[in-house]
Amino acid sequence: MSIEKRMLARELKLAAARPGDIFKPMWFLMLVISMVPLALSPDSVLLADIGSAMIWVATLLALLLNTEHLFQSDFSDGVLEQWLFLDRPLAWLVGLKLIVHWLFHVVPLICITPIAGLMLSVPTDVLIALLMTLVVATPALTCFSGLGAALTLGSSRSGILGVLVMMPLFVPVVILAAGVLIRATDGSEILPLMALLGAFSLVAATLVPIAVSAAIRLNIGGSN
Amino acid sequence: MLEFQFESLMAFLAMAPHGAYVWPVYILGLLILGGLTWVNLRQHRQAIRLIKRQLEREETHES
Amino acid sequence: MSWRWFHQWGSPRWFYERAGRWQLVCGWLALILLVVGSLWGLGFAPVDYQQGNSYRIIYLHVPVAFLAQAMYAAMAVCAVVLFVWKMKLADVAMQAIAVTGLAFTVLSLVSGAVWGKPTWGTYWVWDARLTSMLILGFLYLGLIGLRAAIQDPDQAGKACGILVLVGVVNLPIIKYSVEWWNTLHQPASLKLTEKPTMPASMWMPLLVNILGYYIAAAYLVLGSMRAIVIGRERRASWVKELVGRA
Repeated sequence: MSIEKRMLARELKLAAARPGDIFKPMWFLMLVISMVPLALSPDSVLLADIGSAMIWVATLLALLLNTEHLFQSDFSDGVLEQWLFLDRPLAWLVGLKLIVHWLFHVVPLICITPIAGLMLSVPTDVLIALLMTLVVATPALTCFSGLGAALTLGSSRSGILGVLVMMPLFVPVVILAAGVLIRATDGSEILPLMALLGAFSLVAATLVPIAVSAAIRLNIGGSN
Repeated sequence: MLEFQFESLMAFLAMAPHGAYVWPVYILGLLILGGLTWVNLRQHRQAIRLIKRQLEREETHES
Repeated sequence: MSWRWFHQWGSPRWFYERAGRWQLVCGWLALILLVVGSLWGLGFAPVDYQQGNSYRIIYLHVPVAFLAQAMYAAMAVCAVVLFVWKMKLADVAMQAIAVTGLAFTVLSLVSGAVWGKPTWGTYWVWDARLTSMLILGFLYLGLIGLRAAIQDPDQAGKACGILVLVGVVNLPIIKYSVEWWNTLHQPASLKLTEKPTMPASMWMPLLVNILGYYIAAAYLVLGSMRAIVIGRERRASWVKELVGRA
């Protein structure tokens, strides 16, 4: 069995052993969404107006919640150290880990956003655009928050520092996604902006794993 | 070209009608630049004090 | 060509001894330039016919905002030097610039907000420049937080270096996307600078102040670097010798 297959099998087993890790961010997302009408107003016109943006922000927060400790368990039980000795580039393994994390922990989040959309009476065409932006944008967000997680690996008292450090870098993604949502609400063309968002996501997904692997090396190798 | 734009020093200090905005900004600027200078000096002094204490400890240790 | 001028920077001792002198020169030069430029701008530059006297804030705001951005770029250069030549002084410079840069960012945000009150009627407007400055402030804050969280200075320096490099690639993207977002939501507002024609009597003092703040920033960074160098090298023999002699 190749290293990649074994890694995948291990991640599957881990995910199956800890379903709570998948479930809790979804739970959090639904809770945040339930707070919106309580804090604002149950008026469906008002909710439909801000609904898609609220769902976006809530998904972003839920994603941060579950990516914060992305490498923590692998770091403390020594798996990351083993990665250094494999005959694969570290960035490749990191990229694989990020993809698997996205599939198991982020895609379920995206899957429940339509329910959140119905609760906030978001119109169907905006909801479709919302789903598309989430699918296209979350790889970039996952990579950036993974970098935050990797940078703060070595310090026990970092808390949510990884999130705080990385959040400013989300700005272009959030702005582009919001642009798509505004156009979808107007009924105008969203494809060019989607393409731009996708391009950003692709570039981030290619380059950020290299930075993540440098950060991991730093935390394992110490000063070499 | 270099002509004082205000009739008197009081007019300059009042800077009507925006004196309440202009002067606090410049005072804050002064405070921040001065504050950074002070922080640097204090950090420097503290480092030197720390090294001195270390040196004294080493001397008593040797003798 | 001799590379001596470059390799000298690898020696903390060489830097510490020279930097004291440079700092003195920079400090006095900055003080003179800033006093001249600010008084010139405050008292002698003509009143703006649209904004009145409130425009005099730009003599502080524009140089400070300019430097806050330039310092992030300077940190990126330091990060490259750190990774390519493993020069510890580059890390010291990054640490010093992060704190100074955050202070300059805060000053530029506050001065921008105060300028906005008489001009726009409110302290805070989600203007493109103010917004991207705010994000820049968060980036500086993240760097300081990251360094504070990691105990080993070498490791902290490298982690910060990675973050700075990722940040500097993203910064132009952030800036352009924020600008685009701004046009999406509101018509172009009154710009903070970029007067169509600014007479020489107005921009001359601005030029003096830009130069003055540049040198002041150099003075502050050098001072901070000296303090960090001597703190980190406290076990080195030259430091003990230096302190013992004094």
